[in-house]
Amino acid sequence: MLIVVSIAMLVIIAVGGGYVWWRMNGGAPQQQIAGPGSMPTSTTAIPSASFTVTVYLPLDGMLAAGSAAVKLEPDTQSQAREALAALWTDPRSAQAAVLKDVKLRALYLDAAGTAYIDLGTTIPQDIRASTGEELLALYALADTVMQNFDEVKRVRFLVNGREAHTLAGHIDLSEKFEKRMDLVKP
Amino acid sequence: MTVRMRRLITFMILSALAFPMGAGAVGQGLIIHSVRASSYGQFTRIVFEIETAGPYVLTRAADGRSIQFGSYDGPLVLRTPLPPFRDGLVAGMELRDESGKKIIVVHLDAAAGGVKDFTLRGPDRIVIDIARGAGQAASVLPAAGRPFVIALDPGHGGADIGLVTAQGMEKAATLEIAQAIRKILQADQRFKVILTRDNDQALSHDDRAAAANTAGAAIFVGLHAAPGPRARVYIEDLDDDADEVSAAPVSGDFLGFESGSEQQESIWGRQQAAHMQESAALGKALAHRLGGESAEPVQAPLAGIKAVDAAAAVVEIGMEQNRHKAAEDIAAGIAQYVQQNR
Repeated sequence: MLIVVSIAMLVIIAVGGGYVWWRMNGGAPQQQIAGPGSMPTSTTAIPSASFTVTVYLPLDGMLAAGSAAVKLEPDTQSQAREALAALWTDPRSAQAAVLKDVKLRALYLDAAGTAYIDLGTTIPQDIRASTGEELLALYALADTVMQNFDEVKRVRFLVNGREAHTLAGHIDLSEKFEKRMDLVKP
Repeated sequence: MTVRMRRLITFMILSALAFPMGAGAVGQGLIIHSVRASSYGQFTRIVFEIETAGPYVLTRAADGRSIQFGSYDGPLVLRTPLPPFRDGLVAGMELRDESGKKIIVVHLDAAAGGVKDFTLRGPDRIVIDIARGAGQAASVLPAAGRPFVIALDPGHGGADIGLVTAQGMEKAATLEIAQAIRKILQADQRFKVILTRDNDQALSHDDRAAAANTAGAAIFVGLHAAPGPRARVYIEDLDDDADEVSAAPVSGDFLGFESGSEQQESIWGRQQAAHMQESAALGKALAHRLGGESAEPVQAPLAGIKAVDAAAAVVEIGMEQNRHKAAEDIAAGIAQYVQQNR
């Protein structure tokens, strides 16, 4: 009887120790499921985790949707900034009028759900674009932020940290921008 | 001044609140170096830009058909000719000598209603707004027998060259098309066509809107160009909150707003809000002509037409398009809109 009990205890110790060792070495991979429109609710960042966002880029006179994996951030403001940064890493942005001539300086999100996208110009001369190109570039940014983050209700643009009348001469930046899915390719 | 003159305002001191001025300004009179007038849907605005601030007198004749503007203390000096302005509310302006004192007389049409005045700084201005009288609603289109004024606005100009493609510069293409459209439309006696620029000249958005508003345009078509072979039509997509601002009730006091108040200044730039339906119809007529029956105008927050007090659309032609054909299509779209909305 004593022998049976001893063997059972050894088995329990072996199994428990093995489980602890297995957990300490990473254990089963944790699936990170995140998609467009969903945000992690945890405020604890997991440095190696990623978050999938939908990005919109001008293509053939409309906006085309794509996806990009971005670093998981602890809050919506930082996450939205990452989403826009991902938009510029897409090689198509280098070909897109207006987008190729501006960079993201900052993004702020206020309590009312307005995201302020502060754009910096990267060229010394005026940005040259048609009305349609300017419209699509601005809505590429606005829709990317609003489609991925429900907390963002509207977008306003700043240029080099200030309110600006227009970026390339056609579209009025004093207006707030709300989501425009009619500009997205079906 | 005539004895039948009804005095509405004895004088208004341009106080320190309005124009901080030195003590020496009293008695120096008014020096006016610029006069401009603009038409809006419900009122006409006359702006006197002044060099030396001082008290002024504004009176209205007993029959209501003229207002007189002069210096309260000291001479009135006018350093610019008065603009030859008539718009249905204002019937003209003249400089008159009354008992050795110069005054400016603004003749009013029967449609003119109340008059408000206020002052603005930076630069110093005295502003007179003449409202349309009750029951004198502005019509979208002119009365039968009067020509339709159509404003064509060739985009860019001067140092602002717009896009540059293998087909040339956008500023040249837009001017060429505007001139071609004018030639086509002017063959029709119903139309009077004005161009906001008829040469290689830089203009601000406000300059363009003011030119169209002042001419009493019922239709405004902005012309731009894009790379490629396709044309697109855009109409204004106004911020809903901004519409609420424009719809805010206006004070009925004669003196109205405080000097330089944001409420007063915010009127400018919201004229297009009153024309959304007509602009949509105009945009649709143009889109159908340029892109086929299934083509629709695209709504966008356009910087160039917010202050336009008329049915308005922006046509962006493809730089690779045949420009003469594009001009014909645009002219046909305008004529179709007029036909359908007469």
